[in-house]
Amino acid sequence: MPILDVHNIEKHFGATRVLDDISFSLEAGQALAIIGSSGSGKTTLLRCLNFLEKPNGGTIAVRDKVIFDAADPATQRPADIREKRLHFGLVFQNFNLFPQYTALQNVTLSLHLRDKEDAAGRRAGKDRHKAAIDQRGLELLAQMGLSDRAGHYPHQLSGGQQQRVAIARALALQPDVLCFDEPTSALDPELTGEVLKVIRGLAQQHTTMIIVTHEMAFARDVADQVIFMDGGVIVEQGPAQQVIEHPAQERTRQFLSRYAEN
Amino acid sequence: MLSFFSSDVFRTVVGALNTGFLQTLRLFAVTLAGAIPLGLLISFGSMSRWAPLGFLCAEGQHPVLRAIWGFRPVSALCRLLVWVIRGTPLMLQLIIIFFIPGMILDSGSPWPGGESGRFLAAAIAFILNYACYFSEIYRGGIQSVPLGQQEAGLVLGMTRSQIFFKVTLLQMVKRIIPPMSNEIITLVKDTSIARIISLQEVIWAGYAFMKGSHGYSGLWWPLLFTGIYYLIFNGALTLFFGWVERRLDYFR
Repeated sequence: MPILDVHNIEKHFGATRVLDDISFSLEAGQALAIIGSSGSGKTTLLRCLNFLEKPNGGTIAVRDKVIFDAADPATQRPADIREKRLHFGLVFQNFNLFPQYTALQNVTLSLHLRDKEDAAGRRAGKDRHKAAIDQRGLELLAQMGLSDRAGHYPHQLSGGQQQRVAIARALALQPDVLCFDEPTSALDPELTGEVLKVIRGLAQQHTTMIIVTHEMAFARDVADQVIFMDGGVIVEQGPAQQVIEHPAQERTRQFLSRYAEN
Repeated sequence: MLSFFSSDVFRTVVGALNTGFLQTLRLFAVTLAGAIPLGLLISFGSMSRWAPLGFLCAEGQHPVLRAIWGFRPVSALCRLLVWVIRGTPLMLQLIIIFFIPGMILDSGSPWPGGESGRFLAAAIAFILNYACYFSEIYRGGIQSVPLGQQEAGLVLGMTRSQIFFKVTLLQMVKRIIPPMSNEIITLVKDTSIARIISLQEVIWAGYAFMKGSHGYSGLWWPLLFTGIYYLIFNGALTLFFGWVERRLDYFR
């Protein structure tokens, strides 16, 4: 049974069609890489899954339950969207860490806030599991190899370290599917490796992931499935090795050959 | 020279100026206490996207129709208020608020008699005036916090108010300290405008010694002496804002 089922997603901004008839499914524990040139709709697709954009058509189902249906307003109530977002985590290209919080506070902020809301009815304002949450935050940072950086503020960390904090922050809420939006595009080649290594580790632990990336070798080695997008449509999808080494479509071949040249 | 500072006239003048400066400080404090939160409300209002007829907007509509259906009444009202208040002199606003109600209301002036009535009218005019200036500073501060910060909060399942109070607010405060300290120092000196409705603040008290007050008249130095009160108080404010800026230096 797939954990995620995306069906016929459509999105346009004004007259510009950004996504058209996007359908795919993802098995639990698998990693899906989305490749394609800039402007092909990859990022918009991730933003739709995280409810940062509202698709104009199509459905999104998690564990066989439809959580979004463009044709059914009952699935789009603003009050429910906040909970539905928690099915997905999102790691941004530019990290978007909260600058006024330490690495640990960045990771635990959402957990503390939820704990306060849960405590004996909403807005009781009491954080009952403070110590346990901080412990969990430290474990996540340790998993990212950042145990000694828990008390550092984002501006005191390298880009690679900041992105690893951002990954820990997204993992804290235990999303069903963790999404990465070009997680290494803002990093030097030297720092890219440390972030890819962490994502590789997550894949080995069978974290369900969708990774938008320009790192073709990484996509081939880490992802189970690959989707190639161009002009807002899925041109080709299949097992990672097959799509990247033996693409069936001419457009995929052209796209990949540009990477081979560089 | 030293005997001057222990003379009766000096002590009388300083006593009167102290009383006047206390009134200056009261107006200053009350204005801040009112304008800081009211400014936030006005800035939220001017950023409001509420358009009651927005559902009538459609793609490909004529731009004029789109402008009509997309009309945002809360935002328009707040921006109109800011335009009027910032576009007219504070002195004129003071005069209007203090004198006009009494001239058009059958029941006479709504303000209590004496200094308390003048203070109340001045406080309302100052709060409204400064709230409008603050609202624009807040708006700039809020809009300068990158959108990615809000989006990061949203994908972590935070509510709009959690995002504002836990993520945006402190970053905004850090950014608005320099323009706010400018405005607040200006406010200290602007309180003297309340003299136009005879509020007995420090300039009023100093000027009184030229005309005749406490048995003295023709004294010009008490008026100059009021400048020292402003200088000392604004020096303290400058130190305070420097301290706040340093306190917020720990993040970027």
